[in-house]
Amino acid sequence: MPRKPDHGMQERRMPRLPGGFSLPPFGLHQWLALIIVCIALWAVGLFWLGMQAGSSWVQGWQQDIRFHIYLEHPDATRMQQLAGKLRAMPGVAGVRIVPKDETRSWLDAWLGASGALSDELMQALPGSIEVTPAAHSGEFLYADLADMARSFGAAVNRGEAHLVQARSLMAHVEQLLWFGTLIIALAMIIIISNTLRMTMLARSDEVQLMRLLGASEWFVRMPFLFEGALLGAGAGGLGWLLLWPPLLAVSGWLEQLGAEVSSFGLLLPLLFGGALVGWLGALLATTRMASENTAPA
Amino acid sequence: MADKGHASGYRSSMIQMNRLMLRYPTGKIALSGMTMNIEKGRFAYLTGESGAGKSSLLRCLYGGVQPSSGKLTVQGLDMRKAGQRQVRKLRRDIGIVFQDHRLLFSRTVFENVALPLRVQGWKPDRLVARAEKVLEFVGLKDRLWSFPEALSGGEQQRVAIARAMSTKPPLILADEPTGNLDIGTARHVMDYLMELNRQGSTVIMATHDLHLLDTHPGDIFRLHAGALAEELHLVTGGGQQTRGEESDAPEA
Repeated sequence: MPRKPDHGMQERRMPRLPGGFSLPPFGLHQWLALIIVCIALWAVGLFWLGMQAGSSWVQGWQQDIRFHIYLEHPDATRMQQLAGKLRAMPGVAGVRIVPKDETRSWLDAWLGASGALSDELMQALPGSIEVTPAAHSGEFLYADLADMARSFGAAVNRGEAHLVQARSLMAHVEQLLWFGTLIIALAMIIIISNTLRMTMLARSDEVQLMRLLGASEWFVRMPFLFEGALLGAGAGGLGWLLLWPPLLAVSGWLEQLGAEVSSFGLLLPLLFGGALVGWLGALLATTRMASENTAPA
Repeated sequence: MADKGHASGYRSSMIQMNRLMLRYPTGKIALSGMTMNIEKGRFAYLTGESGAGKSSLLRCLYGGVQPSSGKLTVQGLDMRKAGQRQVRKLRRDIGIVFQDHRLLFSRTVFENVALPLRVQGWKPDRLVARAEKVLEFVGLKDRLWSFPEALSGGEQQRVAIARAMSTKPPLILADEPTGNLDIGTARHVMDYLMELNRQGSTVIMATHDLHLLDTHPGDIFRLHAGALAEELHLVTGGGQQTRGEESDAPEA
């Protein structure tokens, strides 16, 4: 709708939404809430990106993880017996007795192809059995392997235990991250609720007038619910944009580690998550609105 | 001479009250045993000194406060038994004009006038046309997109009248609508209210400006200390205007 010319006065001009409605006032309180919620969502996004990187890195080398069991003074019979027992264990995908030649090649490469030294060492080396874990082998596989190996007088490579624990560690971290996200979401709901409560107080004349005109409670609440959702979504979008600088800063390092990270996967969760906490905050703020329809005398 | 003024025919009654009492939590008795009947299509003045109970009576009529005792029926709704939903529904059929107009200064004239329409669920594509029509009635069509702060006091009150009439309510309550206006502007405002009455709306107006009664006659209900002191009905017929007098309450 085109504006009619002024009557020579400097009239206030405000941008209008479709339908001719003015944008709601966006003052200092809203800006502060937007910044605080943006920072909170940015932090949450950063944590989840870190989780993503960690999971990707762990998965990268865990696909190739093998356990090695060493049997001192090996003989073929004992090695076969041990390998058979290991093969029968649940969570074990494959068992292989590492041939001496392969061990020699590995040592040659490691020691710099010093053949004489390798010969002496070859005599003293324990027999090696390589165990390939299944895809979902469970967190107790290493302990079970260690027990089995011990029963034959063998031992499992201890260094590989830490690698196994990494996966369960990531699972624990993810649980903690969910808990932290919920706590931060609760804090954001309270912040937005407080902001909108102040907004409602500032616009109490509008609320009162709508009630005098016979508006339903949802009609009165709807603008504030909408504002809360927009505030949250806006904060989520901004928070997502702020993820890019730190992501670009560590991109080289992540590439070296072989960890794949994509922040695009966080865009929708931050937008909708922000909108949800904003809406919940607004719902909390408007729930405490005292009805002024009729006061008993 | 047709006597249309006498309170009769409860079937055509817009407002009925019988021994209506209103006592605020502070103990103040705003209305003490008021009995009154206002028929549909009438223009009724509530007059009286400050504290006589005019505003309190208007608050009772739109459900802003619940009477302490007695009976009050507005458009067939028993106000003492009405629930929240019924009160909201009643308010959609009432246009209210306040002394301080209660315009939203952060919203344009269009948004102020369209607010009752939005409350009633009008579709957005019809709002501008309707707002233009009612603003044209009060002579402010060209101020559709202005903000109230850019209008004079009289223009703001006219916008308030436009808002009150935008949904064509059968009942219009006006609480001292000319209280802050000069005589000339006040008469213009009264002209609009009279025209709304001629178009079929019942208008109840609280005022202590008795000069308006001479140029814009109507039924008069004079209040004093929360009670009805005097009741005068405008009687028309045969081209002449006479007043029938009734005094069914104690002298002030």
